[in-house]
Amino acid sequence: MADSPEAIKKATRLYLLIGAVLFGGTVLTVLVATVPSLDFGKHGFDTADLLIGLLIATVKATLVAAIFMHLNHEKRLIYWLFGLGIGAAICLLFLTGLAIWDPIHYNGFPTGVPGSEPVRHFK
Amino acid sequence: MEIPYIFTPRKDTGLVNSKIAIWLFLASEVMLFGGFFSAYIFLRLGADYPWPERTLPVLPGLINTFVLIGSSVTVIFAWMSLKLRKWHQFQFFMAITVVCAGVFMVLKGIEYNVKFHHQALRLKDYAVVEGHLGYELKDGVHVAHGEEPKDEDFALNHHGKKIEENMINFETSELSFNTVRYHHDWVEEIIAHAAERNAAITLKEDLKLGKEAPVLFDKDGNAAPGSKPLAMADGFAKGSVLSMKLLERITELHLEARSHNAELRTDAFREEWKKAHAQYPGKSDRQLAPDVKIDVTKLDLKVEHPSIGFEVQPATVFHFRPRDIQEGPASGTLRDGTALAGKMEESPMGFHYVDALDFRHLAMKVEEKVGDNPEAVEKAIEESWLIKSNHELKEIWEKQQKALGLLTAELAKKDRVPTEKDKYRVNWQEMVYYATTRLEDIKIEAGKYQMPHVKMELDEEFFGPNYAVRAKAQRPDGHLGSFPHLSVPRAEVQFASKFAPAWNTYYAIYFTMTGLHGLHVIGGALVLGYYLFCGKKMYLSNPEWLANRVEVGGLFWHFVDLVWIFLFPILYLM
Amino acid sequence: MSAHAAPADDHHGHGHDDHHHHDPGFWKKYFFSTDHKTIGIQYGLTAMAFLAFGFYLMMVMRWSIAYPHQPLPEWMSWIFTDNWKARWLTDGKVTGETYNMFGAMHGTIMVFLGIVPLGFGAFGNYVTPLQIGAVDMAFPKLNMTSYWCYLAGGLTMCASFFMESGAAKSGWTNYSPLAGFADGQIVNQWLAGQTQWLIGLVLLISSSLLGSVNFITTIINLRARGMTWMRMPFFVWAMLVTGFLLLLAFPPLEAAGIMQLMDRVGHSSFFMPSGLYSASEGLADLSGGGSPLLFQHLFWFLGHPEVYVLLLPAIACVAEIIPVNTRRPLWGYKAMVYGVLTLGFLSFVVWAHHMYLTGMGPVVSTFFQTTTVLISIPSVILLTSMIISLWGGSIRFTPGMIWALAFLPMFGIGGLTGLPLAFNLVDLHLHDTYYVIGHFHYVVAPGILFGLFAGVYHWYPKITGRHMSNVMSHIHFWPSLICMNLIFFPMLTQGMAGFHRRWYNGGDAYMPSGEGSANVFSLIVEKHIDLNILMSMGAWAMAVAQIPFVINLFGSLLWGKKVESDNPYNATTLEWATPTPPGHGNFVTEPSVYRGPYEYSRPDCEDDYLPQWEEPKRDAAVPVASELPGTPTTHPSAH
Repeated sequence: MADSPEAIKKATRLYLLIGAVLFGGTVLTVLVATVPSLDFGKHGFDTADLLIGLLIATVKATLVAAIFMHLNHEKRLIYWLFGLGIGAAICLLFLTGLAIWDPIHYNGFPTGVPGSEPVRHFK
Repeated sequence: MEIPYIFTPRKDTGLVNSKIAIWLFLASEVMLFGGFFSAYIFLRLGADYPWPERTLPVLPGLINTFVLIGSSVTVIFAWMSLKLRKWHQFQFFMAITVVCAGVFMVLKGIEYNVKFHHQALRLKDYAVVEGHLGYELKDGVHVAHGEEPKDEDFALNHHGKKIEENMINFETSELSFNTVRYHHDWVEEIIAHAAERNAAITLKEDLKLGKEAPVLFDKDGNAAPGSKPLAMADGFAKGSVLSMKLLERITELHLEARSHNAELRTDAFREEWKKAHAQYPGKSDRQLAPDVKIDVTKLDLKVEHPSIGFEVQPATVFHFRPRDIQEGPASGTLRDGTALAGKMEESPMGFHYVDALDFRHLAMKVEEKVGDNPEAVEKAIEESWLIKSNHELKEIWEKQQKALGLLTAELAKKDRVPTEKDKYRVNWQEMVYYATTRLEDIKIEAGKYQMPHVKMELDEEFFGPNYAVRAKAQRPDGHLGSFPHLSVPRAEVQFASKFAPAWNTYYAIYFTMTGLHGLHVIGGALVLGYYLFCGKKMYLSNPEWLANRVEVGGLFWHFVDLVWIFLFPILYLM
Repeated sequence: MSAHAAPADDHHGHGHDDHHHHDPGFWKKYFFSTDHKTIGIQYGLTAMAFLAFGFYLMMVMRWSIAYPHQPLPEWMSWIFTDNWKARWLTDGKVTGETYNMFGAMHGTIMVFLGIVPLGFGAFGNYVTPLQIGAVDMAFPKLNMTSYWCYLAGGLTMCASFFMESGAAKSGWTNYSPLAGFADGQIVNQWLAGQTQWLIGLVLLISSSLLGSVNFITTIINLRARGMTWMRMPFFVWAMLVTGFLLLLAFPPLEAAGIMQLMDRVGHSSFFMPSGLYSASEGLADLSGGGSPLLFQHLFWFLGHPEVYVLLLPAIACVAEIIPVNTRRPLWGYKAMVYGVLTLGFLSFVVWAHHMYLTGMGPVVSTFFQTTTVLISIPSVILLTSMIISLWGGSIRFTPGMIWALAFLPMFGIGGLTGLPLAFNLVDLHLHDTYYVIGHFHYVVAPGILFGLFAGVYHWYPKITGRHMSNVMSHIHFWPSLICMNLIFFPMLTQGMAGFHRRWYNGGDAYMPSGEGSANVFSLIVEKHIDLNILMSMGAWAMAVAQIPFVINLFGSLLWGKKVESDNPYNATTLEWATPTPPGHGNFVTEPSVYRGPYEYSRPDCEDDYLPQWEEPKRDAAVPVASELPGTPTTHPSAH
């Protein structure tokens, strides 16, 4: 798409638009996080804020990857190469996560102080 | 020989080499940051202390986000300019990109700097105070309450630096250095410190490492005329003055002796085993071992001195950083093996300004013991060392309790409750408000759902509280200053650190991730700057070549932006 | 990807002769060369030097295990200066500290500085571009940087032997909090061995990152005309997978390394739990709150793929040597390719089988146990295919081939002894015993090293233009084979008896101390402790057995029989189409590929083989038109 001069000129507005959306998304994230009257979920930080923040960040990251990094019209091979990286990262995050939240039981980290019980941190 | 597919894509893959390479590199970068993100998740979920949510100043982070997004747009325009063969336009956009990188790093530098100069302290009861430490004053200097010490009042170390009031003060009468491991800088500090106080550090007893008679050396390593110079001496008389030269010479001789002895002993031991095996052919090593010994009297061994004892006359108080010393009431050991004998003095941590209180960790510990019980927590806070022993902090806490009551009532209308942070933390803006407001005047702003606080000035968004102004604020009791002084006895200190990676795992991961990201910004800016300043030749030989390169550099730059898009919320806002 | 899509670059396809290149000068030619072949040789020689050093460390350790009461003999301690003797030995006896240091560095050197650079760095660099018909790697300067990063990293790690702290002592796995505390007495942490290890590691990871990006790009984009994916020799496939493993598995360890570096020099607590207490320092002056488990996860996320990074180049060498010397196609080439790809994918999800004893929950353990058992399937496919390739072949026992043949059963033992360790209940008993050491070393030493020796003997004629001595190679081979088994087989026995891998005195401390005082474990130890001496003798004999190799390697440069043809083994893959030794730019004329890599024993041609580069005859019953569109302008041939 963006290789001929005409196509490149056409894309200018798209890039500006995406830039604006990124700015807007950032402002939105900050407002949600810092203004108490705009708070979602409970008062203060909670899961709702976490999800909203991560959602906006993911959308922004996707836009950067798709438009700025041209992943929306890239060669197949690039998808394979980058996809492998993403896949491996998911393995890492998911499986270490699984090791923390083993569904059957988890004893928590020992405090190391002799005679004390391990502390269960994950509620 | 030329490598194909540098300028023109290979037909079946449709790609030039550099494009494949950069995406591979980005894939590995995903894994690198993936490692850090999984560390973040692991540490945050596994934290056994309250994770400091929303603790960083948002404004610098926000500006940095804008700067990076903006530079992402300009780098794309720079690439487009090349594609359209507009060299000057390329230069313009690329220059903006590089400047953005500079702005980003400057803001980051300010942010780091503020943190590195901000002290935190966790007391034995898990209460946390934050603020700025005072500096040690010269011996005998006293500054009246409410007055600021002058520059010449401060004690300096041998590098000419002021010494923070967080030292272990040890009145030392005897010192014993580890001959091999002593740390030069520390010994120099000890020598300089003693010289300033007219104390003499001298050899405790004669030290003979050879055949010569002991010689007396002065502080410059000189001996009486006629006797051997230090570089050749191998005996050192009791009373020789500690100097680096003296120590170095002793070390040299000791190492020589150690090597010599090791060689002799090893050979002798081998000999003994040979004899033993010949004598008792049927016996195993294990049976023989207790009886196979070296007869040291037969060996020409040299004298080794693994440690060198000195006495300090008169006994002098030395200051050591807490991390460097393991102290006891009558003895101490430095990390480099130096042993001290004498008496541990009072070694309080002196806060010049306390600018925040935090009882969240304390509350958490209480809740771990007694379950969710607000009264127990409240009682524990009131009985904490901080509140009990400092009336200013006590006053602030009482006012905070009143404000909390107001906030709780306000939130109750919306069916909500105050956060842990509202309940157990007093930040500097709140502290200034409480200090400058009478108990009966405390009120909260309707509809804001926030604890009462003073507004931040623009510079304070970046640099933290402006002490020059805030410290002179008028208090209702007529005194000046919003930030209390505090002196914490060593026995109450559990863990102290600047707001550096050491303070807790949050700051550790914050500094590591943003630091690594910052290195990426610098690296990216260097590469893009190279295209900006040295790309002309590439452009003239083949504009498509430079365009490809800038595209590849741009991809990296977008990736750096993409990482920041996640770093900003998880570190600054969550 | 099909055959009609691999044209040479229009502008830059010519000029493969290097006549118009002026002589680059001594330094540029032999040291700062950007030629993949020179870099490959640099990698090879450096790696072998490190292997020899790692072997030496092991010999000292084996002395301490076999003869814990005796001083180190002169022939081993001559490398120690007197000052070192004083610091690291007591009256010549190896101390526990020294044993730990040598153990940690033996593992590190062998894995990171020896075998990976030899397999991936040396053979990968030398052979891969030749086999795909490329003029060089895609990024020659990056290639050079990669080598120098590797050397710098290696030297950084080894330089710490000369420091007051000594080199790293916390095992090659460098687990925190032990590794976070180690060398805590050193005031300037940047000058502690444990810190240097991390710095060296970061350099090594940078090196393999540059290397892997380069390899993958080269394999994807620089394949010769007609070299489609399924015509690539298995070696190239293995290198591609290895490249991906390095690319994606190493960065998490780099992250862990950086965090541990922060723990050491910045006193952070990434891997340091709360309330940490040590005998030397009391309650640690740390914030705590970190997780030692996190380090293990990040380490083994690399650690397991790393095993395949070690293994695949060796398998790749063997898979090249077997078809040439059996004169049969590689059996199940496609199955092997898919097998190696599957192996690559699966190797990312098995890592926590190293961590069964860390208190992970049963669900996670079961998951990793399952994937671990799964990954044995592609491994078995690879091994079985190669064994079946021997069936009915007319085997030529060339120097390379005997090593390749020995690789098969040795790697087989290594692989099969790994199966019990995959099951977490069995692993509870065997964890950290000599059984694990035996298993791992069977894979790495008689397995991988034999494969790499095979590679050295096999490609030596191409690299130098001379053959290695056949007699000497047998003198090298048979003692090595026997000694390897003498060293490692008793380990399996000892391990099942419960011998722990970190006993610096080989179990001497657990021997019954007198009549009646023995417990059951002491009796077991007593029964098996003498195996230590057997194994140590084997290790020293092994060292002697390597002397013929060194003589052969360097001596053959002068005395070896000169090769008469560019293709002395009548092989089919492209590296044999180059002049001997290949010049800068590799091929005299641009090669084209017309068929798969292992066309041996074809009934339809006069010889028993059909090289990849040989232009098909129009009248032959070989399918031609579909294989390659258009005829190449030049006819590459082996002179």
